[in-house]
Amino acid sequence: MSFRVLVIPEDPTYNGYILKPIVKRMLSELDKPNAYVKVLDSPKLNGYPHAVSAIRRDLVDRYKHLFDLWLFLPDGDRASNLEALESELAGQGVHLFCCAAVPEVEAWLLAGHRDKLSLFWGDVRQHRHLKEDIFEPFLAQFGESRSPGGGRERLVREALANYRGLLSVCSELAELEGRLRTFLAQST
Amino acid sequence: MIEQITIKNFKSFKDVTLKLGPLNIFIGANASGKSNFFDALRVLQGIGYGFTLPEILDGKPKSVTSEVWEGIRGGSTKVPFASEDVSKPTMFQVAGKLPSGGDDGFEYTVAFSSAEGCFREECLSLSGGKVYEAEGRKRLPLGRIHFYDKPFGGWGDADQDRPVLTQIAHDVERMVARTLADMQRIDPLPSLLRTYSQAYEIKRMGEHGENFAALIRVICSDPATKEAYLSWLRELRPRDVDDVGVLKGAIGEPMVMMKERGREWPAPTLSDGTLRFAAIAAAFFQPDMPGILTIEEIEDGIHASRLRLLVELLRSRTADGKTQVIVTTHSPIVLAWLKPEEYATTFYCKRDEETGESRIIPLNEIPRFNEIVSRQPISDLFAEGWMETAL
Repeated sequence: MSFRVLVIPEDPTYNGYILKPIVKRMLSELDKPNAYVKVLDSPKLNGYPHAVSAIRRDLVDRYKHLFDLWLFLPDGDRASNLEALESELAGQGVHLFCCAAVPEVEAWLLAGHRDKLSLFWGDVRQHRHLKEDIFEPFLAQFGESRSPGGGRERLVREALANYRGLLSVCSELAELEGRLRTFLAQST
Repeated sequence: MIEQITIKNFKSFKDVTLKLGPLNIFIGANASGKSNFFDALRVLQGIGYGFTLPEILDGKPKSVTSEVWEGIRGGSTKVPFASEDVSKPTMFQVAGKLPSGGDDGFEYTVAFSSAEGCFREECLSLSGGKVYEAEGRKRLPLGRIHFYDKPFGGWGDADQDRPVLTQIAHDVERMVARTLADMQRIDPLPSLLRTYSQAYEIKRMGEHGENFAALIRVICSDPATKEAYLSWLRELRPRDVDDVGVLKGAIGEPMVMMKERGREWPAPTLSDGTLRFAAIAAAFFQPDMPGILTIEEIEDGIHASRLRLLVELLRSRTADGKTQVIVTTHSPIVLAWLKPEEYATTFYCKRDEETGESRIIPLNEIPRFNEIVSRQPISDLFAEGWMETAL
């Protein structure tokens, strides 16, 4: 049976288009190319507090037995106490890894397109309104408004063409990959 | 684009006014008035086409110059609001923007008597200035028009059984008539979607999916458009769909085909839900997009876990404001995927049990809705009948 991963975004409306290809690629790099990756879109989570609340209350009963690993991948601007959340879920028998994007999930897509941005990457990572001020204009210019997610998935696939480069500028993703490698090594 | 519509004395509507946006969703129990609203739009479309009032209401058979036009449900006898005097006119008032863009707003008012089969009053304004006013004359075939616009100012006569709007050949009237006529109803029937198309190239698909394959052929003729269209099908069935295209019949007539894991699957072998979604998605890639696209019970045949995609399709394809979408749904999950800013154009229809009158209220105007929906899932509120109780 394939390795099964539940990806929990804080808002699945568009984040799934970015997160799923990244997680699939990461697992592929870790010798799990056939892993089943599901982005949680029901119940529909509406932001960080709702996602944390759902992880604590509703999701354990529904999904604990269906997935080998849960990944909670929220925006970093509001995320806090993620270690405590992991410990809490571990106490209930759920392998949960949290990885907060700096500053928001859209940065992981932009990381593969740094040559198209007018800001230095360090400034992008510290931007307080990355989604509105940087990502949306970028998507309008380089995305495809007629496609699902406005073309996010294609842009992520392009970003993943240089996977190692992506991890080198998004240290939280590199850290997540390290944790996954250790987890998979211990599981086998 | 229609921005506001008032309907008086029409079917279950005594007097309702709605402000519409690019994406409009109608919800409510069965027989609450949703379909009557769609009938009202159909009357306006018939007016835009310049049909006679009896043709608009009761239907028009196929002729050498026109395709068949289906009348509204119940025909002319069921037009007036039930408790009103049958001689009292039905009235529509429409305000909107012309397709030419710019800031030119129009307002068109029309009143008619379904019992007499004639138009009683009409008035057209552009950017706040009156263009013409017309009023009927009892027992005479011609009504009287007062033109306000120069250089055509003055008085004239017009047939009373047709809308004046389409009897005047001036640019403004033509543009308003085109705005009203430029609606497309989509109700795809899987049995039709599975057939060969009679046409090879089309700009618009038929209401029930006629010439679906010809439309797919046109979509696939442009690689970028094909890729954008195909990306929706891939999202619907992530592990299956590799390609979409057409197969050719004996005389080259097209039939839709999807390629799954390298193998071709002709339309007759595809599921109803896949075909219906494919047709709805294709409607948003038509070379000649309508100004208004209407779809009833949009979730029909589509799995609950894919309704997110459907809402995204509607939202993304109306974002440029060129096509206005008006749909009905009974699905709580469709509501769950709406953004709060879309509640203003999500309308709850409710029929008063005593008077039979339909009310249509934007969700954000239901008492305490905004406060409660911030704490409770909208899908639960809808499914348990909270909105109906709150009204």
